Amino acid sequence: MLLASVVRFWTKGWIDELYIRPAFFFPYYGFGFVHPLGEATYAVFAVCGLCALLVMIGLWYRWAAAGLFLSFTYIELMDKTTYLNHYYFVSLVCLMLIFLPANVLFSVDAWRKPSLRAGRIPYWTTGSVRLLVALLYVFAGIAKLNSDWLLEALPLRIWLPARNDMPVIGPLLEKRWVAYAFSWIGCLYDLTIPLWLLLPRTRVWAYAMVVVFHVLTALLFPIGMFPYVMIVTALIFFSGEWHGRLLARLGRLVPAMPVRSATVYAYRPAAEKVLKAGLLVFFVFQFLFPFRYLLYPGELFWTEEGYRFSWRVMLMEKAGYAQFTVQDTTGRKIIVNNTLFLTPLQEKMMSTQPDMLLQYAHFLRDHFAGKGFRQPSVYVDSYVALNGRFGRPLVAPDTDLARERDTFLPKSWITPFDDTIYGF
Amino acid sequence: MNRFSLFLALTGLVFMTACSGDKGSNGPGPDPDQGATNRKALLTYTVDDIILPGYAAFKVKLDTLTARTNAFAAKPDADKLATLRQGWADAYVEWQKVELFDVGPANTQTLRYYFNIYPANATGIEDNLKADNPNLDLPNSYPRQGFPALDYLLNGVGANDAAILGKYTKDENAAQRIAYLKKVVSKMNLMLGLVISEWGNSRDKFVNCTGLDAGCSTSQLVNGYVLHYERYIRSGKIGIPSGAMTNGVAAPEKVEGFYKKDLSKLLAQTAQQAFVDFFNGKSRRTGSEGLSLKSYLNGLNAKDSKTGELLTTAILNQLDAAAKKLQPLKASLYDEINTNKAAVVDVYTEMQKVVRMLKVDMTTAMSITITYTDNDGD
Repeated sequence: MLLASVVRFWTKGWIDELYIRPAFFFPYYGFGFVHPLGEATYAVFAVCGLCALLVMIGLWYRWAAAGLFLSFTYIELMDKTTYLNHYYFVSLVCLMLIFLPANVLFSVDAWRKPSLRAGRIPYWTTGSVRLLVALLYVFAGIAKLNSDWLLEALPLRIWLPARNDMPVIGPLLEKRWVAYAFSWIGCLYDLTIPLWLLLPRTRVWAYAMVVVFHVLTALLFPIGMFPYVMIVTALIFFSGEWHGRLLARLGRLVPAMPVRSATVYAYRPAAEKVLKAGLLVFFVFQFLFPFRYLLYPGELFWTEEGYRFSWRVMLMEKAGYAQFTVQDTTGRKIIVNNTLFLTPLQEKMMSTQPDMLLQYAHFLRDHFAGKGFRQPSVYVDSYVALNGRFGRPLVAPDTDLARERDTFLPKSWITPFDDTIYGF
Repeated sequence: MNRFSLFLALTGLVFMTACSGDKGSNGPGPDPDQGATNRKALLTYTVDDIILPGYAAFKVKLDTLTARTNAFAAKPDADKLATLRQGWADAYVEWQKVELFDVGPANTQTLRYYFNIYPANATGIEDNLKADNPNLDLPNSYPRQGFPALDYLLNGVGANDAAILGKYTKDENAAQRIAYLKKVVSKMNLMLGLVISEWGNSRDKFVNCTGLDAGCSTSQLVNGYVLHYERYIRSGKIGIPSGAMTNGVAAPEKVEGFYKKDLSKLLAQTAQQAFVDFFNGKSRRTGSEGLSLKSYLNGLNAKDSKTGELLTTAILNQLDAAAKKLQPLKASLYDEINTNKAAVVDVYTEMQKVVRMLKVDMTTAMSITITYTDNDGD
């Protein structure tokens, strides 16, 4: 699956487009040291693809999983522009995979080293992956409990009519009630699907629902691999016996592969203790981190302080326009042509996200200081529309962004959102 | 809870919300008008009632310009120069009503580059007319042809009419100048002919590509339309010559129709009006309004979810505000920039507000992505 992603990236020329050509990248706070490596970026992708392959066939599993986690995460950290919740999810799963015994059956490792083979693994190992998936869904559901989503059917009311030329269902997508139905069903689905997947009686139907739901979103929205990642991931909810049968069937294709074993996998007691403690910390963090937005004043959708890494998926239609002016103490002034520094995607993301506006403003400050501007000031004429409200400035035009610092503190220079969205 | 009750609960909720949505007071209105959001119908109307009749009307003017060019070339005199200039001005004004169709064949043939890249490159034109067989398809040839080149050739090669006429009669390069004049006009005919005939082949494909992704017609139409306003009306006609975009340093010599001077405001006004007419779907055959961006956006019920104002009303009001700032200016924007620059910058300011609404509010309501990259500040 991941291998396919890397290959997809490569063949579409995205590596070059996203990570090599741009003049500027948006690093994550505290991860400024992570940046693209020029042509060597291809090597990172190659490592990532190779590790994904090794993990898949189960060769040198632990090292490969670690390599996969590091290379994949490195790629994600290079530029905020491409942030997607499911990349974050993949990173987290890779992190967990390092410590989980996913190579004890049907793997090259197990084939080479019979002592590694085990037919059963501790419940908490698959349980922790299930918990992560459940958290993802439930948080995505909670995030939908707001007035725009539930009462206005926004942004689906904007997105669905765009597909009104689809065969059969096209005309339906224009109906207002359909947007409401999709909104509510989507919300209920996210909130409850982990439960239906957990209960043996509903599992098969729930999984069918997962497939239908994600295939539908894949058809309707341009969201890449995410639906397929989730469809495959949700298989983790099926029982060990079910997976055993699947492996037995796959085993017929590759007869050399060990598909069953009577051994029960056991960690060394000390390792197990450390691992369980680690998982506990991990999950406490996962549980609290999405709620950090509560610490910030203002509307989350508008300021996006605490928006990322919180499983907020497809929640808003936000578009913007940002024109920067750089000015110095001697009166020199220039209107910035964003396309000289940013890709269209970077510009699009930057224009609606305050922290990226600020990072870019700082880049401009330094760039023009290097070009002989004396203590340059950076102002932005910004215009952002959120969920069908008409556009308005995201930043006061008289704020000198060159002097504002990027911290985790609330950003006082964001103009207040002049409407209220109730709920989470 | 078993599967059946889950299903019941879901259905019930859907039903409830559907009903509550219908009687909701503020945001939700009636269902979108089905006909207005049919993109195939919109595209068909746009091609058949606006684009193709627009080109046909322009072709009439270009034919007149061509005939008068040939008459002048055959026997250059003051009368023929005067009628040729009038033919040029009429065609230039009519061009403003078709330049905005930067979609389909006009986009693939880059029609605009052969008709209206200004300021004209006067020395380049002089080089070209002395050259054996100058290649008009090279990018550096764009400002050496089309209406701006004709402007220079008919209005700018001498200090007065007698001197200009002399360049076509007594000058050592007179024959070459006449030949180049004809070459420019015949290139314009060639390019327009190509675009019109290609529309004949591509019309069906165009109206059937109804998706909203970047590869399909609606997105390309809107991208070309918004780009036209941003780069060729706001920046080209107003922003760059007035200095509004370049640190306040005005460049009045960059106005459209620089050598003719007193045509520049009319060109800008015509382009602005053509832009509004397109938004309203004004038919070039009947003159009445039909399917349009306006009816489409209204069909989507695009309004400010806070105030309830229709997006189309807001856009049309802002377009009107820009036109009102343009209206009182002198016929020569060159003179206006030299004497009263602030008034021209005011036009830019209003047009800039239009651009934001088009690029952000309109495209977001239509789920269209702006894919062209702007080059502000170049």
